[in-house]
Amino acid sequence: MRPFKYSSTTNVKAATHLLMANPRAKFLAGGTNILDLMKEDVERPDELVDITRLALALVKPVTEGVNKGGISIGGLGKNTETANHPLIRQNFPLITQAILAGASAQIRNMATNGGNLNQRTRCPYFYEVSMPCNKREPGSGCGALQGINRMHAVFGWSESCVAVHPSDMCVALVALDAVVKVQGSNGQTRSIPFADYHRLPGDTPQKDNNLAHGEMVTSIEIPKNNFANKSYYLKVRDRASYAFALVSVAAAIEMSGNQIKQARVAMGGVAHKPWRAYEAEKFLAGKEATETNFRQAAEMEMKQAKPLEHNKYKIELGTRAIVLALTKAMNGGKAG
Amino acid sequence: MSEPNKSIGQAINRVDGLLKVTGAASYATDYVLKNTAHAVIFKSTIAAGKITDIETTEAEKAPGVLAVITHKNAPKLNEKGGIRGGALLQSPTIEWYGQHIGLVVAETFEQARYATRLIKVSYEKAEPKVDFTKHQKEAVLPKGNPDAVRGDVDTAFRNAEFKIEAIYETPIEHHHPMETHSTVAVWEGEKVTLYNGSQIVNGAQAAAASTLGIETEKVRIVTPFIGGGFGSKGGQWANLVLTAIAARAVNRPVKLALTRQQMFNSVGLRQKNHQKIRLAATKDGKLTALAHETSTHCAMSNEFVEPCGDCSKVMYEVPNSLISYRVVPMNIIIPTYTRGPGKSTGSFALESAIDELAYQLKMDPIQFRLKNEPAKDPSNGKPWSSRTTVQCLQEGAKAFGWEKRKIEPRQNQQGEYLIGYGVACGTYPARQQNSSAIVRLTRKGNDVKATIELAASDLGTGTNTIIAQTASDALGLAVNKITVKIGDSTLPPAAGSVGSVGAASFCNAVNDACEKITNELISKSSKQFFVRPTAAHLMVSENLTKFETRADAKAPADAGSYSSHSFNANFAEVWVNSQTGMVKVHRFLAVTGAGKILNPKTARSQIIGGNVWGIGMALTEESVLDPRWGNFVTRSLADYHVPSNLDIGTIDTIFIDEKDTIPNKLGVKGIGEVGIVGVAGAVANAIFNATGKRVRDLPITPDKLL
Repeated sequence: MRPFKYSSTTNVKAATHLLMANPRAKFLAGGTNILDLMKEDVERPDELVDITRLALALVKPVTEGVNKGGISIGGLGKNTETANHPLIRQNFPLITQAILAGASAQIRNMATNGGNLNQRTRCPYFYEVSMPCNKREPGSGCGALQGINRMHAVFGWSESCVAVHPSDMCVALVALDAVVKVQGSNGQTRSIPFADYHRLPGDTPQKDNNLAHGEMVTSIEIPKNNFANKSYYLKVRDRASYAFALVSVAAAIEMSGNQIKQARVAMGGVAHKPWRAYEAEKFLAGKEATETNFRQAAEMEMKQAKPLEHNKYKIELGTRAIVLALTKAMNGGKAG
Repeated sequence: MSEPNKSIGQAINRVDGLLKVTGAASYATDYVLKNTAHAVIFKSTIAAGKITDIETTEAEKAPGVLAVITHKNAPKLNEKGGIRGGALLQSPTIEWYGQHIGLVVAETFEQARYATRLIKVSYEKAEPKVDFTKHQKEAVLPKGNPDAVRGDVDTAFRNAEFKIEAIYETPIEHHHPMETHSTVAVWEGEKVTLYNGSQIVNGAQAAAASTLGIETEKVRIVTPFIGGGFGSKGGQWANLVLTAIAARAVNRPVKLALTRQQMFNSVGLRQKNHQKIRLAATKDGKLTALAHETSTHCAMSNEFVEPCGDCSKVMYEVPNSLISYRVVPMNIIIPTYTRGPGKSTGSFALESAIDELAYQLKMDPIQFRLKNEPAKDPSNGKPWSSRTTVQCLQEGAKAFGWEKRKIEPRQNQQGEYLIGYGVACGTYPARQQNSSAIVRLTRKGNDVKATIELAASDLGTGTNTIIAQTASDALGLAVNKITVKIGDSTLPPAAGSVGSVGAASFCNAVNDACEKITNELISKSSKQFFVRPTAAHLMVSENLTKFETRADAKAPADAGSYSSHSFNANFAEVWVNSQTGMVKVHRFLAVTGAGKILNPKTARSQIIGGNVWGIGMALTEESVLDPRWGNFVTRSLADYHVPSNLDIGTIDTIFIDEKDTIPNKLGVKGIGEVGIVGVAGAVANAIFNATGKRVRDLPITPDKLL
């Protein structure tokens, strides 16, 4: 790989300063994505700021602010520890299921929560430096648009990029209205609603999210909810483990009597960002939890999809996946 | 000195197991030589055309760089020396995307890899031929593969009451052994030693020497352990020789290991096959016609064809038959031998068609097969030395619970899962190839030890172990008294671990050498023996401290008068998610008749390995090319899906007890390939039985079952 400088620090302020001082520096946390990308010559930082020693790994109750009563997970918490933490298993089994559906045990043991948000697409045209890719090299074109795009987006894509966000965990987090807490080099913190964290490609696909250079994900807050007994993460993939989603669905339901008080539906593998299925959710509010209603909600959502040459199957698959995930959520799908 | 128990047929642990699990076993790149430099290959980013310029100045100035070698400064090599697929930096011509176009040698691997990124290549591009579907109509009869015709297929097919005609497609696949192709080269004067994973040790030696233009004896291949090959290390590839020229250029030992991404376009592939089957039968299930016509792609300069029609030649009694091949040269890396070449992919087509016709006849597919069992080899009229298809099917059906299967699909549902059973057969020829072996006996007191030497190879399958077991029985020595030396071209020449010939060739040579040494010891002795003594006893009774001999073994003289094959029957139970299309192979059973099973433990592992790859062929594995540019978009093991543990439930293996000493004295038929043959067919047939959906293009991914 290209030569780079390695820096290490133990506090957020110093880390963000180091990054601000060098526009070509990147944070190094779990390293499960950035190191691969550097070996492939896709990412070319000239400095890595190791933040693994920062004390940002805790899972704890939120004691103040709008999410009081919810749970905060540290930006540097490991995916495995987060998934298996009792507070997460009890309160948000959807997150546990989603994390455990992703990657492999070895990768989850290394990968951090902040890194999971900031991981890059696995589009092969992004990874192969001899191919055009606007995300890697703005202006070079999109190799996937007219290429092999079986794994690519059906929602929200643009002519400049049809890549999808690869995370499972983020699909659950967006469904649960999580909030991303970030801190910049000036010491200022801000909160970004999860649905606004990642971006659609538009004509700037090089920007995956709204994190500014020098900002760090310090924690993610998940507000208290009543979905724990009726939630399910369904991941449809080419093999049962260690494969990215063809389509995934995070579904959560809160009932009021025999009516749906509120439903949350989010999808993975379909867009440049974790896709919140607002159309489906809107339809389901106040309805009975029947398969017919689930199907109608799913069809309403998928009607907005615009498939590419090789991913037309995602319309039918997405519809079925929403119905199945909602059905399993109603049946009280438990974490694996 | 007590007689050890017979070792052949015992499920003993691998003799090299401890070395492997402790990391002490040395694979090619584990040879850490003083002052080793590191080479990294760089590749073309077009599929057809030629290089007009390579700018290497910046790379040459990069830290640690010792040499940059391209076609502009590479030494002249013999391109017909036996390196498969070329890419020897001899010309600016580009024939596939990712062809080697140069290498950088540096003090460290990372320095070399970094420098490759500083190289600027200019091309004159030509229109690449990479879309097989588009060019299929240009396919022509390949040299040396005439159509095999028996009777009149067209008429028989036309007149048949029950028939199917269908196209079965299998995608490009890659071997992907865990150990990527790697070489360490070190020169001493005019001699070079190449540490390199080679399935055929002597083949690697000959190819390297001929390509480098030096005498065979001046090349030594060392390859005691190999991290898998599956055919991709049977042929020799450019890395073997490029490492040698790099080492000569910098006058130091050089190490070169391909990256996983480079494996997709460096060491061959299993080609995409388009197989048209026409199969016809009478109402009572007697086959009347079978045509198996395969068209495929080959390299621009080589017409290698995967023999997809091989199973169709021998599996069933059918009076009218046509087996044919057509190929079109394309800008895709040269196809090569890949586990169960032709048989694994061809049996998917044949055994799917058998299943389709059985369903049309409303006949149990096992009964249908039994009705068409050939008494002799239909392709050449030779008698079988033995054939176990019937036993495999019958014992398998019993063990698997086949009677629970319904002929009509979609009859077995549990929750959202549709459950189905499928069966498919397979075969692979059994052969013994020439091999020589030396046995050296030494004695201290009553302690007799043996060393066995031959240039065999162990892909990880257990060659070291079965050689030790063979020698143990033949010499009357415990396995732990035997040292096996293989994987070195300075040892007596041997066959390769290819085409399922390894076990039969190596072990018969070792057995011959051990019998010969016993005979020589007997004739040395003045004693009279009423019971044949063992070599171990004779070393003691004759008071010898050292004794050795060599045997040159070949197949029995009349082996060629018979048709000798391993056979199997595969049973699959699949659970298909009716909503998502995801498939799990819940249970799999492979019943194999492969003659003498030398070690049931390593044999079982090998069959399971074949089964898993066959399940991958059925469900997950596919290398996808971008039809515009010819690059693989599946470019790592995250994209090229081999089955994970979760995809497969239990796999059981049964070996038929079979004694057949016609193909070779020990009665070993070989199991390397047959474990994958028939597997994809069994899974596809089970999916039909579960869902009523017949998928004829592999892999059967969830989207194809919606």
